[in-house]
Amino acid sequence: MQKTEVLAGEPGATPADPAHSAAARAGEAPAHGWPRFWPALLLGAAVLPGAVVFVVGRWSDGQAFQAWRTVCLAVTVQALPFLLLGTALSGAINAFVPAHVFSRLLPSRAALAVPVAGVAGVVLPGCECASVPVANSLISRGVTPAAAFAFLLSAPAVNPVVLTATAIAFPGNPAMVWARLLASLVTAAAMGWLWLLFGREKWLRPTVRHTGHRPGHSRWTEFRQGFQHDFLHAGGFLVLGAMAAATFNVTVPRTVLDAFSGSPWLSVLFLAALAVLLAVCSEADAFVAASLTGFSPLARLTFMVVGPMVDLKLIALQAGTFGRAFAARFSAATAVVAILCSTIVGGILL
Amino acid sequence: MRRPLQVTLLVLSGLGLLHASLFTDLFLRYVKEGMRPLLIASGVLLLLLGVAEAWATPAKTHGADHPERGHGHEGDVRELGRGGDAQDPGDEGGAHDHGGHGHDHSTVPRVAWLLFLPALSLLFYAPPALGAYTASREAPKAVASGQRHFDPLPATSPLPMTLTDFTRRVQQDPSGAVRGRSVLLTGFVTPDKGGRDTWYLTRIILSCCAADAQSVKVRIHGTPALPANTWVSVTGAWHPGGTLGTASAPADLDARAVRRIERPINGYTDDLPLVPSR
Repeated sequence: MQKTEVLAGEPGATPADPAHSAAARAGEAPAHGWPRFWPALLLGAAVLPGAVVFVVGRWSDGQAFQAWRTVCLAVTVQALPFLLLGTALSGAINAFVPAHVFSRLLPSRAALAVPVAGVAGVVLPGCECASVPVANSLISRGVTPAAAFAFLLSAPAVNPVVLTATAIAFPGNPAMVWARLLASLVTAAAMGWLWLLFGREKWLRPTVRHTGHRPGHSRWTEFRQGFQHDFLHAGGFLVLGAMAAATFNVTVPRTVLDAFSGSPWLSVLFLAALAVLLAVCSEADAFVAASLTGFSPLARLTFMVVGPMVDLKLIALQAGTFGRAFAARFSAATAVVAILCSTIVGGILL
Repeated sequence: MRRPLQVTLLVLSGLGLLHASLFTDLFLRYVKEGMRPLLIASGVLLLLLGVAEAWATPAKTHGADHPERGHGHEGDVRELGRGGDAQDPGDEGGAHDHGGHGHDHSTVPRVAWLLFLPALSLLFYAPPALGAYTASREAPKAVASGQRHFDPLPATSPLPMTLTDFTRRVQQDPSGAVRGRSVLLTGFVTPDKGGRDTWYLTRIILSCCAADAQSVKVRIHGTPALPANTWVSVTGAWHPGGTLGTASAPADLDARAVRRIERPINGYTDDLPLVPSR
C-alpha cells in the first residue's frame, strides 16, 4: 500500500521539478543585488501569517484575527513616533552635521571608538526603532561601522527613559537596573569589537543614499527628502515586523511559559527567545519582565538585555536598512553575545 | 513607488494618526493614554511631510536637469523625472535595471506599500480593543507581592475596589479585612471554560501597548454569565476557600447583583469603579 503511494507520488513530483528550478533560476538571474522576486517574497512573508491566522480565526469565530489586527496595529502605532524621531534625526545628521564633527568627537582608533559610542547611546531617548536609521546615517557620515553598531545596540537599552522604567518595574531592586546597564554596554562593546575583528564591508548594503550635504542644494530639501525616504522605507519594514510579532503574540499563548520556568538554564534561553519573538518596545519590556514572576532574576535580565538588541521588528528594520546578509549574521551573533553577557553580569550582580 | 503615491501615503498616515488620537479616542484601544501628544505630533509631522512633498512636485517638473532631490544619482533623477511625469507602469522596475546595483535610492522601495495597511485600518476599519479572547488565553497577571502593610478598609458598603486590589487583599492581607465585606468590582465578562456556573470578571492592563497585554481576573460564582465582552459591575462578597491572606485563597466572588455598564473610555486600566450610588 505504501509502495503504490510512493510510486504514484513520484511521477506527480517530477513535472513540478523543472518548473521549480526554472523559478529558482529566474529568481537568481540578477546576480547582483537582491533577487527580482524579493518584493513578492516579502509580501508573501507579510501576508502568510495573516492568512494563516485568518483561517484559524474563521475556525474560532474571527476573534483571533481581530486580536491579531489589534496587536499588529498597536505595535505599529506605538513605534511610529519613535521611528519618526529616529528618521528625522538621521535626516538631520545627514543634511546638517558635517562629517568632521564625528571624527573629532570619537577617538580615531576604532577599538577605542567602540566603547565611547556605546556609552554615547545614553543620549538617544527612545526605543529601538529610532536607533537603526540613526546608526545608518552615522556610518554614511564616516563613523566606523563598529562604533555605529555599538551605538545601535546600546542606545535603546541604556538611555534614561528605559532605565527609569526598569527602576519602576523592579522597585527596591537597584541591582537589576545596574545589571541591565552593565550587561547592555558590555554586549554593545563586544559586538563592536567582534565587527572590527570579523566584520566584512560586503555584508553591508552600500549606503550611497546618504551623501551628506552637497554644495548647491538646499539643506532643508535634503533633510526633508532624506527624512521622507527613510521613514517610508523603515516604516514598511516596521509593519512587516509588527505582523510577525503579532502572529507569535496571538498564536502562542502566554501559558506556555509556565512549562519552562522550572529549569534555570532552559528558562534563560526561553526568555531570550521570547524577547526576540514578542518584540516588545524597550521602554516597556521591563514591565513585561517584571510580570514574568515564575522566572529567575537572571532569566528576566536576559529578557531585558536581548529584547532591545534583537527582535523580530528590529531584524526586519535592519534587513531593510543594512541588507539581509548583515541582519542575519549580526542578529544571530548579537543574540549569543547578549545571552552570554547577561548570564555573566547577572551571575555576579544578582 | 511614484511620488503622488508617496504623498498619498504620507497624508493618509498622518490623517490616520490624527483621526485616532486627536478627533477620536481610538488610540486607547492600542496604546496608553500618555502616547497621545506623541501621536498627535507624529500625525501633524506626517501631514506636513506629505504637503511639502506635494508642494515640491511642480518645481521638479520644470526641468529634469535641475534636480530637486538632494540625494540620488543624476541618472536616477532623470529616470524619475521622466517616469514621474509620464506613465510609469513599471514603477521602480525600470530604475532597478538602470541603477545597476539592484537598489534604487531616489525612489521608495515597495515595502513602503505595507504602510497603507495601518493608515487605512486607523481611518476606516479600526480593530476592536482586546477582550475576552485574549484574556482567556493569557495566564492571569501575577499581582505584585511584597506589600507588608495594609490600611484598614473604608467602611463604605458596598466598597468599590479594583480587581488588583481585591486579589491582593484576598491573597496577601494577613488581617483578612475583606472577609464578609460587600465589595463592588467592574470589568468585562470572560467565559470560564472549565467551570460550570462561573465566569471571570476581567480587566486587561497594558504596560506599553496591546502587544504586552496582561489580564487580571476574579472568578464570579452564583450568577449566569452574560455574553463575553459585556462590561458589568458586580456586587458581592469573597467566596471562601483556602486560607484568607495567603496564596491558597482564591480570588473568587459570590455575586449578589450584576449590572451592565458602559465600557469605560480607557478600558485598559484597572480603575476604581465609577458607579453612582442609587
